[in-house]
Amino acid sequence: MRLGRALALLALPVAAAAQSLRDDRLAERLPAAAIPAVDSLVQQARAERLPTEPLVQKALEGGAKRVAAERIVVAVQRSLTQLRDARALLARAGDAPPATAAEVTGVSAALKRGVPAPVVEQVVAALPSQPRGSALHAVADLVTHGFQPDSSAALILEAARDGLRGERLLDVSTAALHEVQRGHTRAEALALVRARLPDVPAAPKPARASVVRARRPSEPPHEP
Amino acid sequence: MDVRGDPSDPEVVARVLGGDQEAFGLIIRRYEADLLRFAAGMLGSRDAAEDAVAESLVRAYRHLGGLNAPARLRTWLYRIVANRCKSHLARRPARELSLDEAPPVADPADTEASLERAEQVALVQRALAELSPEKREAFVLKHVEGLSYQEMAAVTGERIPTLKMRVHRAREALLQALEDA
Amino acid sequence: MSPVDPRFHQALDGDIAREGVPPEVRRAMERLDAAAALLAVVPTGASVEARVMAEIRRPVPSRARRLVRWLATPHAIRLRVRPAWSLALAAVAALLTLLSEGDIEPELGGQEGIAQFVGRFPGARSVHVVGSFNDWRAGTIPLEDRDHDGVWRGAVVLPVGAYEYMFVVDGERWVPDHLADRSVDDDFGRENSIVIVRAAGR
Repeated sequence: MRLGRALALLALPVAAAAQSLRDDRLAERLPAAAIPAVDSLVQQARAERLPTEPLVQKALEGGAKRVAAERIVVAVQRSLTQLRDARALLARAGDAPPATAAEVTGVSAALKRGVPAPVVEQVVAALPSQPRGSALHAVADLVTHGFQPDSSAALILEAARDGLRGERLLDVSTAALHEVQRGHTRAEALALVRARLPDVPAAPKPARASVVRARRPSEPPHEP
Repeated sequence: MDVRGDPSDPEVVARVLGGDQEAFGLIIRRYEADLLRFAAGMLGSRDAAEDAVAESLVRAYRHLGGLNAPARLRTWLYRIVANRCKSHLARRPARELSLDEAPPVADPADTEASLERAEQVALVQRALAELSPEKREAFVLKHVEGLSYQEMAAVTGERIPTLKMRVHRAREALLQALEDA
Repeated sequence: MSPVDPRFHQALDGDIAREGVPPEVRRAMERLDAAAALLAVVPTGASVEARVMAEIRRPVPSRARRLVRWLATPHAIRLRVRPAWSLALAAVAALLTLLSEGDIEPELGGQEGIAQFVGRFPGARSVHVVGSFNDWRAGTIPLEDRDHDGVWRGAVVLPVGAYEYMFVVDGERWVPDHLADRSVDDDFGRENSIVIVRAAGR
């Protein structure tokens, strides 16, 4: 039977279940006073077809840090607003809807890290057919270290035009930061890296000793 | 051998353990569709399911000697995939945290029917994603993979009453989520 | 908690016949069956066979190469034995180390990488990393201070992506990672650090 028709059928009498949470994690980890409001915000995000996971993560974070219930709710509300703003920015930049969760959270992360909205919009608009997450983080890396937002975006976009993609754009910002550490001004650093494009050093791989010891957060004990 | 002439699971396992590496391909072809469907139900994406199933099958090959009952190969494989999926989920509950994902490109070949169906699948996947990993696993094993409670106990290592409770709660939660969509 | 008609579950579990249940229960069962049917379609795409067989066929390092690797890695072995036995014991220890599966590299998927964490907390009894990669669950990712020099380290296999996190010292003190290049306001008056995990196979 088509699910569309199935959804129109009468609901089961699940009165108590109507108050139960959609996400078990919230019930287990949040102060009780925060649960109804947080759940309501998550449902709003869902209804607006925005990603819900960033909201759940913010709530879980608040619970873990033993933050007061009302502050958790405020933080989750702020996260929802940030996601709405991010999606609106994507639309202004020319992206056809629907925006993917990754795109919305990527833009939201860049805004949270302090990249001005017009600069984020410029980067998004300049990369219409590529994932933008790494590019935006690369710009944010520079902005948070005192580089002018416009010049930061210009460098990263130039690297993208020179064929660097995805994670390699993070190497561009790293290269510029290293030049500053070596004693150059920020303007000099940008010029030096620009002159070298697309040849920026790749980030070193983790040492083997680390790799061997690396474990997944919860490796099931009864795995064969 | 079964009636069709295909070697049974214990026969294939014996061949692989005897040194016939290529015979493991038989096991992959026999089970990958089921395992991919199960992993996709758990993880919500084909790509993640492929990674989880591929990793699991490599691990199964390397630990094949530890399989005590070759006749139970199927539940053993499901167990490895279930563990791998739960590891993935424990690390990152949803794909939404990925750094880079290609922006959506509309495919002009998509018909309205297939788009609607894709939307319905996405709706169910979203509802499933709200369940805890244990309830999601219980629902998918029972209702998608069609395992009996005994088989589910072999896969998960849990007692049957525990599994029944998880399945019951998953059913109710899923219905609620679908209704609210 | 089960305000649902128990026959809903009994029929779905096959304990009673479907025909005997009330219409509204049967409708709910049909909705559930419809949802399950949508998931029962195998997602289309390439087979994983080639990928798995390629990995299986990759040659395992020879004993000789593993011995070289073992010799190149420092091992603390202190034994007080008669000189005549010491060589034999060392040989046995070497063989056992080769045969043991203690330090196996984790098998990384195509979209996984390694996040490394390090922090200086002299005098700490425990240090954990807590963040969006483990649902902010304290206690699941411990760091280690193997040399007891106050420097705590750990490495975690994670899917590629960006994550916010903090260290938790002695189970109660939340501290940002001062060595991290990236940070962001946590909206609770503190600062989260950010780690970007890159694909290991690059």
